[in-house]
Amino acid sequence: MTPRGQRRITARAVGGAVVALGLLLSGCSGGGGGDDTKAPDKDVIAKSDAVVNVDFWHSMDGTNGETLNKLVDDFNSKNDKIVIKPVFQGNYDDAITKYKAAVQSNSTPSMVQIYDIGSQFMIDSKTVAPIQAFIDRDEFDVSDIQPNIAGYYVVNDKMWSMPFNTSMPVLYYNKTLFEKAGLDPETPPLTLKDVGAAAEKLSKKNGGPAEFGFNAAIYGWFVEQEIASNGDLYCSPDNGRGADRATEFTFDNEGAVEFASWWADMVKSGVAGNTGRDTGDAQSAFKSGTIGISLESTGALGGMQAAAESQGFELGVGYFPRVEENDFGPIIGGASLYITGEGHTDAEQEAAWQFIQFVAEPANQAIWHTGTGYFPISKAALEDPVDVKWREEFPQFDVAIQQLEDTKLSTPTQGCAAGVMPQARQAVEGALEAIVQGGDAQTELTKAAEGLQMQLDDYNDSVGS
Amino acid sequence: MSSAVNAPGKALPSTSTPTKRPRPKPTGSRIASYLVLLFFLVLIGFPVYFGFVGSVMGPGDINAYPASLWPLDGFKWQNYTDALNTIPLIRQWGNSVTMSLIITVGQVFTSMLAAFALVFLPMKWRTFWFALLLATMMVPVEAIIIPNYLFMSDFGLINSMPALTLPFLAHGFGIFLLRQAFMSFPRELYEAARIDGCSNFGFLTRILLPLSRPTLAALGIWTFLMAWNMYFWPLLVTQTPQMQTIQIGITQLQSADNFNAGLVMAGTVLAIVPTLLLLIFGQRFIVRGLTGGSLK
Amino acid sequence: MTVSSPESTRSDSLDLTEPAQRAPSKRGTISSWLYLVPALVVFAVFMFYPLGRSFVLSFQGNDIMGRPAGFVGVSHYARLIQDPSFHRVLWNTFAFVLLTVIPVVALSLFLSLLLHQRLRGIQFFRTAFASPFAFSVATASVIFAVMFNQATGVLNGILGVFGIDRVGWLTDPSVALISIALTTVWMQIGYNLLVLSSGLGSVPDDLIEAARLDGAGGWRLQRNILIPLLTPQLFFLIVTGTIHSLQSFGQIHILTRGGPQNSTTTLVYSIYEQAFAYSNSNFGYASAQAVVLLFVVILITLAQFGVLERKVFYR
Repeated sequence: MTPRGQRRITARAVGGAVVALGLLLSGCSGGGGGDDTKAPDKDVIAKSDAVVNVDFWHSMDGTNGETLNKLVDDFNSKNDKIVIKPVFQGNYDDAITKYKAAVQSNSTPSMVQIYDIGSQFMIDSKTVAPIQAFIDRDEFDVSDIQPNIAGYYVVNDKMWSMPFNTSMPVLYYNKTLFEKAGLDPETPPLTLKDVGAAAEKLSKKNGGPAEFGFNAAIYGWFVEQEIASNGDLYCSPDNGRGADRATEFTFDNEGAVEFASWWADMVKSGVAGNTGRDTGDAQSAFKSGTIGISLESTGALGGMQAAAESQGFELGVGYFPRVEENDFGPIIGGASLYITGEGHTDAEQEAAWQFIQFVAEPANQAIWHTGTGYFPISKAALEDPVDVKWREEFPQFDVAIQQLEDTKLSTPTQGCAAGVMPQARQAVEGALEAIVQGGDAQTELTKAAEGLQMQLDDYNDSVGS
Repeated sequence: MSSAVNAPGKALPSTSTPTKRPRPKPTGSRIASYLVLLFFLVLIGFPVYFGFVGSVMGPGDINAYPASLWPLDGFKWQNYTDALNTIPLIRQWGNSVTMSLIITVGQVFTSMLAAFALVFLPMKWRTFWFALLLATMMVPVEAIIIPNYLFMSDFGLINSMPALTLPFLAHGFGIFLLRQAFMSFPRELYEAARIDGCSNFGFLTRILLPLSRPTLAALGIWTFLMAWNMYFWPLLVTQTPQMQTIQIGITQLQSADNFNAGLVMAGTVLAIVPTLLLLIFGQRFIVRGLTGGSLK
Repeated sequence: MTVSSPESTRSDSLDLTEPAQRAPSKRGTISSWLYLVPALVVFAVFMFYPLGRSFVLSFQGNDIMGRPAGFVGVSHYARLIQDPSFHRVLWNTFAFVLLTVIPVVALSLFLSLLLHQRLRGIQFFRTAFASPFAFSVATASVIFAVMFNQATGVLNGILGVFGIDRVGWLTDPSVALISIALTTVWMQIGYNLLVLSSGLGSVPDDLIEAARLDGAGGWRLQRNILIPLLTPQLFFLIVTGTIHSLQSFGQIHILTRGGPQNSTTTLVYSIYEQAFAYSNSNFGYASAQAVVLLFVVILITLAQFGVLERKVFYR
């Protein structure tokens, strides 16, 4: 079988995907033509006598899950012929593992939420009905979708899934400690150099008020972000976004090396702590009010804010740091919704699409945004009164939204689409660990990239071309 | 106080202190004993203490540097309600109980039948069967966890009680243990019962089992605890919080988006209290169970 | 403390011939085997069949869904032999066994002798020292995870009081495995103590009295009388401890996920990683490792019976 992503032979220049995205956003069929996947007829549900059940697997627990269920209930009450049945499937890794098992036993759900780095895998699974087909059929207006968010889910000019929960990493800093260290609490540092300088002033090592000037989790996601923020590619060609799939990891580039060495130097000199890979541990440290600067997802904002209040310090949020000031920015993270094509009736697919459209509505996105802290994918949602009021309460979130809007969509900021992204992230974390322990940044990152080659080749071989 | 008595850190048995005669001893050496005991009490007891105290600490106390060993910011009892609100701990508690009970009953049942047959019933290749059943003890579950996972997945049993329990309904250990116990009964007992018209099954249930109660209790306790503490398998075959066992549940508190160490400790205490109470008030009982279970 | 019957200690021997001598075996009947059926069915479905499937899988490749995709011969095994990261895994596994079994058995022996004295309040100490037994792998690991936090954990916090620099308990590759071993030793100490204490409790008082009359006291009493009498328990703890240690998973999964830099990736964790983590689904390669695990466990078990049992003093 030929994967859809490989069917078109046209080679595209770097940034081709971006041009295509422009087409996509203007409502044209950006690369949807000539495809074997057709969206079902629009009236398939109306024609059907029975109620259409849509099993929906997701990974949203806690308050996120509650907000999701609220949206689902609302949808179900408004559609008497469709019943969406949300089923929590554990965290993202669990969900994708479960999905694999379901493919084997032909028991896939009609709709599934899969994390960002599972995107290429989902495409290659050949079980997905691309959202693009529905967008094309309905001439669905995608101009309201935040382009940076949509961009992540476009591969080879085609939008495969609908972005759902979206977050970005930002720089968290402790304003109270900034003040004590004689730094300007209203101006968060932007470049690595500035962050480093601030961290040094903050750290107890250098007579500052913080136990550590800087501490963040050893999280491969941050390296992905740094590479995008510097306008570099994580994998080649074209971050796997063009007609050709990614055949090589290039995350051992200059910006990443600089980022890793910068981080390692701080750890080695005692300016930064090293709480390891666990993001919970890093959060815990920052929340105690003894850490000057940290990196973490916007998703942690609510908890950070609450901890800051109970610990009596003021929380600041800034842009994710980069080597030098530029137009680039981090990649969005999170997950998106896939409609499962294989093994599901047209009516089920259509029903799933109806739900996806419903969730994307500005008013519902405002509910989602304010209920979970994830970005709204809809630009109009930000003007919804519910949303406006909420952001008055959490002004820090505006920084995150500005960062998102300031980021110029480009191949680098789309992020790498490769089948073994989860493994790549893990390998990068291993390299980062080695580097903060004194390993050479260039050597370790290159070693990690080379170590992944076999897995990437195996993957690409097994999906055939 | 003799200096030879006061050598705490030495862990090697050959160099351990000459303090334990089971009879009263001079005051000096008694004080030395207490000092050594206190030293280890702090070492071993600290994580227990910290688990409990940490469960009512706010983020400021639990992360304080230098360490805070008491909730100076006040007792944060809401950690408990927050933990219960974050994950369905009560439900998961119930899952653990149900799973462990099913496994225990199943294992006792299959073991007693097999052990009875091996000891009392005429059988060809008895040695072979026994060796085969015994050999299963040498197979680590981790070595067959992949096919078992695939099996559950093939049959759509992932995230269900059968997936949690089925593979553990028999175990070589239980058969071995009961066989040893049954072998201590004279064969004449069996023959007399048969002559009195007792069926094989009747002999097993009406005579043999009541006489083997201590061993059955030992096996039951042992099996229950093993099942209760399982981690790897429930991690693989459960997915929803509603189906997870308590052991998996508390780790979900650890990976929550908004991590709060106090909450994690609170969840852990909730998971630990029953086993801890059992240990404190039923130590005698557990010891009998374990040693019966471990050294037979 | 309970006095267990003396013959209970004999059963560690793998004596397979005994039952055959006890019962007449001439009339092998089907009805006898029926009693074995429930156990055999469970074993057949969830042990013998999976064992076979593990072997078969270990010679197969996988597609991206984890479905078997063609036989690849012994290439998984060849990869195991060549792969330096797998050598590291074996080394970690071996080191972890040493770092857990020896300390925990030695420490519990020492403590059990310490607790075997008539002192006021000794029952409190016995219970307190056994308290880790109430903790499961998950609960213990979760608590240690909080304590080990490099920046704000209580352990570094206590070291800080004494002016000692922070230790990267779980983040320094040269320390992480030791930290996990420490957690494991703590977890197992309660159980080991319970076993040894009950062993000591079953030593007849007259034996000790007799020894004392012969002039044996203090550590001579321990070395010459008590420790030899405890050898069945010690042997048992070493065997089960080794196997238990080889199978450790929860503490690694919760504390380090095999890191940093794979310094805590043991064989069992590696199987998990290849098969289930990071969206891998390398069931073939993972199965080859599972086969290795199977042979390692069987070999160690047999070796321990062969070597250690000769030193065990059976009453």
